[in-house]
Amino acid sequence: MGSIIKNLEDLKAIYLEYSEKNKKFKHEVLVCAGAGCVSSDCKKVLDAVVAEAKTLSLNGMIRIFETGCMGTCAVGPIMLILPEGIYYTSLTPKTAQKVLKAHIVDNVILKEHTFYDNALKKYVPKIDDINFFKEQVRIALRNCGRLEYNSIEAYIAVQGYFACEKALTSMSSREVIEEIIISGLRGRGGGGFPTGIKWLAAQSTDAEQKFIVCNADEGDPGAFMDRSIIEGDPHTLIEGMIIAGYAIRANLGYVYIRAEYPLAIERLEKAIKQARERALLGRNILGSDFDFDLEIRIGAGAFVCGEETALLASIEGKRGEPTQKPPYPAEKGLFGKPTLINNVETLVNIPAIIEKGGQWYSQFGTEKARGTKVYALAGDIVNTGIIEVPIGLPLGEIIFKIGGGMRNKKRFKAAQIGGPSGGCLKQDNLNSTTDYESLAQLGAIMGSGGLIAMNEDTCMVDTARYFLDFIRDESCGKCVSCRVGTKRMLEILERLTVGEGQKGDIDLLLELGGVIKDTAMCGLGQTAPNPVFSTIKYFREEYEEHIHKKHCRAGVCADLFISPCENSCPANVNIPGYLSLIAAGRFIDAYNLVRQENPLPAICGRICTHPCELKCRRETVDEAVAICDLKRFISDYAMKNEKEYAHTIVFAKNGQRVAIIGAGASGLTCGYYLARTGYEVDIYEREAVAGGVLAFGIPEYRLPTAILKREIDLIKRVGVNIITNTEVGKNIEFKELRTTYNAVYVATGTLLPQKIDVPGENLKGVLPGISFLKDVKLFKSVKLNDHKVAVIGGGNTAIDSARTALRLGAKKVTILYRRTREMMPAYDFEIEEALHEGIELIELVSPVRFISNRRGRVAFIECVRRQISNFDNTGRRNTKAIENSNFLIEVDTVITAAGQYGDLPFVSKEEIGVTPLGTFVVDEDTQMTKLAGVFAGGDVVRGPDEIIRAIADGKNAAQSIDLYLNGNGILNKGEKIEIPQIFDGDDIMYHNRFPMELLAVEDRINSFDEVVTGYHKLNAMAEAMRCLHCDRR
Amino acid sequence: MKTSVHSEKHPEKRKKYPQIKNIIDLYDHNASSLIQILHAAQEVNGYLSVDLQQFIADELKLPFSQVSGVVSFYSFFSTTPRGEHTIRVCLGTACYVRGGKRIVEHLMKTLRVGLGETTSDGKFTFEVARCIGSCGLAPAVMIDDVVYKQMTPIKLNELLARF
Repeated sequence: MGSIIKNLEDLKAIYLEYSEKNKKFKHEVLVCAGAGCVSSDCKKVLDAVVAEAKTLSLNGMIRIFETGCMGTCAVGPIMLILPEGIYYTSLTPKTAQKVLKAHIVDNVILKEHTFYDNALKKYVPKIDDINFFKEQVRIALRNCGRLEYNSIEAYIAVQGYFACEKALTSMSSREVIEEIIISGLRGRGGGGFPTGIKWLAAQSTDAEQKFIVCNADEGDPGAFMDRSIIEGDPHTLIEGMIIAGYAIRANLGYVYIRAEYPLAIERLEKAIKQARERALLGRNILGSDFDFDLEIRIGAGAFVCGEETALLASIEGKRGEPTQKPPYPAEKGLFGKPTLINNVETLVNIPAIIEKGGQWYSQFGTEKARGTKVYALAGDIVNTGIIEVPIGLPLGEIIFKIGGGMRNKKRFKAAQIGGPSGGCLKQDNLNSTTDYESLAQLGAIMGSGGLIAMNEDTCMVDTARYFLDFIRDESCGKCVSCRVGTKRMLEILERLTVGEGQKGDIDLLLELGGVIKDTAMCGLGQTAPNPVFSTIKYFREEYEEHIHKKHCRAGVCADLFISPCENSCPANVNIPGYLSLIAAGRFIDAYNLVRQENPLPAICGRICTHPCELKCRRETVDEAVAICDLKRFISDYAMKNEKEYAHTIVFAKNGQRVAIIGAGASGLTCGYYLARTGYEVDIYEREAVAGGVLAFGIPEYRLPTAILKREIDLIKRVGVNIITNTEVGKNIEFKELRTTYNAVYVATGTLLPQKIDVPGENLKGVLPGISFLKDVKLFKSVKLNDHKVAVIGGGNTAIDSARTALRLGAKKVTILYRRTREMMPAYDFEIEEALHEGIELIELVSPVRFISNRRGRVAFIECVRRQISNFDNTGRRNTKAIENSNFLIEVDTVITAAGQYGDLPFVSKEEIGVTPLGTFVVDEDTQMTKLAGVFAGGDVVRGPDEIIRAIADGKNAAQSIDLYLNGNGILNKGEKIEIPQIFDGDDIMYHNRFPMELLAVEDRINSFDEVVTGYHKLNAMAEAMRCLHCDRR
Repeated sequence: MKTSVHSEKHPEKRKKYPQIKNIIDLYDHNASSLIQILHAAQEVNGYLSVDLQQFIADELKLPFSQVSGVVSFYSFFSTTPRGEHTIRVCLGTACYVRGGKRIVEHLMKTLRVGLGETTSDGKFTFEVARCIGSCGLAPAVMIDDVVYKQMTPIKLNELLARF
């Protein structure tokens, strides 16, 4: 126990003594003991480090101590070694000892144990270089993570209590309040009320006794800022409260901490005890005439006690029920006396403002919202933890630059800000600033600072239900609006999530929410409908899908689907079903099960985007199941063992005829189901072969012609008639089709290449990718011997073109892409293999013009370098050209692959209805166009899209056509296949994906042989057994 | 009249009361300290039986209904005996988003308890916590005062075996 501190000299003496004492240490080793790291067993790490220091006889040389939260909670336990500032993460007792020895004794920094920046994909050992910290302005958190929180001397040594001394001995309470007003500080608990004005009101109230209360209830799920501050820097809260008490002339303060924070309670208690012992709390503080003391009051598990009047009731030992305002606490608060209530974060800014001045504080932030804000980043983000940034920083910067982006490469969907009283922001808002007013305009609130990032696997309806469930549970029950209203809103949301939504539910939610908002007595009830309003505003389609289609696109509302994988498949293939059949060795049955929903499995098994694998829950164990590759396995097996086939049952002809334009994936699928269901089907195909993009847009080494031919033959076998070399609008009139057939399905795809609008695009040697691929596959007439080839684009067509060019003998192939590799829309596997085969990728570059040689053939591309700028409204970063960074690339051939579009030359746009993108307008459910009996689907409606979606459209259109022609809408999908229940109740066996076999790189690049040769039968069965059977109920 | 051994008023059940009286003395019999007293009393006695609530009400000179009103309002207070250990699964937003719901289902199945209930062997009381502020380590599970992070059903089985 130290001596009593009577004045500034005493403070200075302690400051000097502490600094002197620690000068002799060569290194300081800081071990994070924030709540997160405590749960990660940082105590064991600390003990190990202390033991190692002793073993290595370092005790005179280094000082080891615990600090509060350093901020990067996801990678604790953490150790920061000064003066070099090396930041070691994810430590165990053993690795901590290793790192210590290397750093202190050997002068070596073990990089692999330092911070890994997920956005930059590299280790960043120095804390001052880490973006997570570089972007922050730490004022409330100034000492957190750097200070020995349990030592008052350490606090004084960083100017602790000096501001208090300044205020109490050389400023009047009026002057103190002036500084706070100048600073522009607004309440950080969520209300955002100007703190200085609030203090002024409390100060001017005349009363014998006043109180000051600190609200440390922090009940918002997702908020852990206040606890981190109290646990990491408790003295700063004490100091802030002393100054606040002085300003308004209150002599007693209470800190109301929720019971769920025993660590905060313990550390603050210790700090208060220390302050009392040194007379920094008590009578005549620091020689002034001001008396002040603090007490802690503990909550008992009621979220509503974060509301100020409920909080005061709780301190008084009563039920935490809010009361009507007015009277406001400043007038009549705790025990009936005027009370000032401030949030923890607001109060800990006070000492810094008094020390450095209100003017200094006001330089940060925006005009209306000065200063900084502490955020708790949580959810699906990489760098979960605590940060403090100037108010106004755009949301995208917080999530992607500081937060490190979304985990596991999932896409950002929404960010919940402000907890259960707040709202969500979506991709469109990534460029919006985060200050009180702009957030309010977007339907969200700043709130306490909890920021939860949600990825594409989050159902927004379920999220709204979750918040309402929380609020209903925490409602105190005093007023009818909240007590009954939230329950009714919850009931509606629960119905939506189990497939019992009804028309009118959305309007009912909005109406009910509006009434609750207007009539509830306290902030809890008044803001309860906010998450619902916000999710309806930005994600209305999801609500409508739940209600009308009983579909949950995120795969969360389990009552609406068989399994997340099947749910995400546009064609709803019964994935768990066919995996069970493979595991049971019944490959032909598995193949037939797939063909009930998808007639092109051999093709999809090779080129599908497999959205199912992105939702596979096995990913949370080790790796997603290879659903797509297994589909390929059974298709190839069926092809080899064709004799084992069941004979397909086709319905008797019903006399009706349907014409289909385009024999691509969508047209073939539609024809297949219609023919099986008894229709006579004719498909008109312009080219000499059927298949569309499948025939000539996909290289042979990914989709062999033999495979495509066989799939098409199987479709012809059920009675589909394909008429090639016949172009509608040229060889046969569209009008004729409409009169001689009962219905028409248009599935002509998007086969016209987009121009990239670069001068010189028409030079010889500049080819659109889709035309290039077609020439190669169909006419085999392209020669690229020894050419230097440049490919412009980042999608699958670009990669296909590049790998094809390589196989045609190009000397060098380079891909030029305007953004970065992570942002390329092409399949990861394809990009990887392209690089593996020796193709070069230049990122962040775009063509300015093509320059020809004397013979009019392209010889150079003038390129400009690009840099990352702000977000577009799909959450992708835009890039912009860097001025004067132009350079030339020598080329012989250029292939442009910048997207495709469709066109229907045989029918006028007014008749059929065209969107600005050039795609066709159809009714979403029936897929019928404006022309009666004319349906459309596939890429011609959606723009270039996935094959499985084209197949789903074809199937859906077949059903709609059947209904339109007075059928019952039930397609002939074949007989039911009995599926075995494979479940042994044993523990899950960890195993990564069983691999397929690939051709060696040397064997690939000179031929068009298929690169992937498929599964070994045993590996296929084992892989199918990795399925967790999420369909089991 | 002999009091049944199952009754709350049985001397065996009241044996911690003197200790609780000391606590009330430490708080100067101050009615506004009721919540802190109830916390301490529950810590000592394991739960706040109706009889104990009456005892505290008498000591603080408060109506029983007021004490009972406070006990029933706050979720930390329990009027039924609790298990030796309390398991709290966090279902705050961050944990929920990262799989908290599945942890709850797993526990309900493995321990054969419902929410708020105690296992038949008296070992565990199972509750759901709203948010325990360890969002950086979701999904989180608390057993007594210790927070365990990034839990999965498998890790949970291993953990429970230790108790």
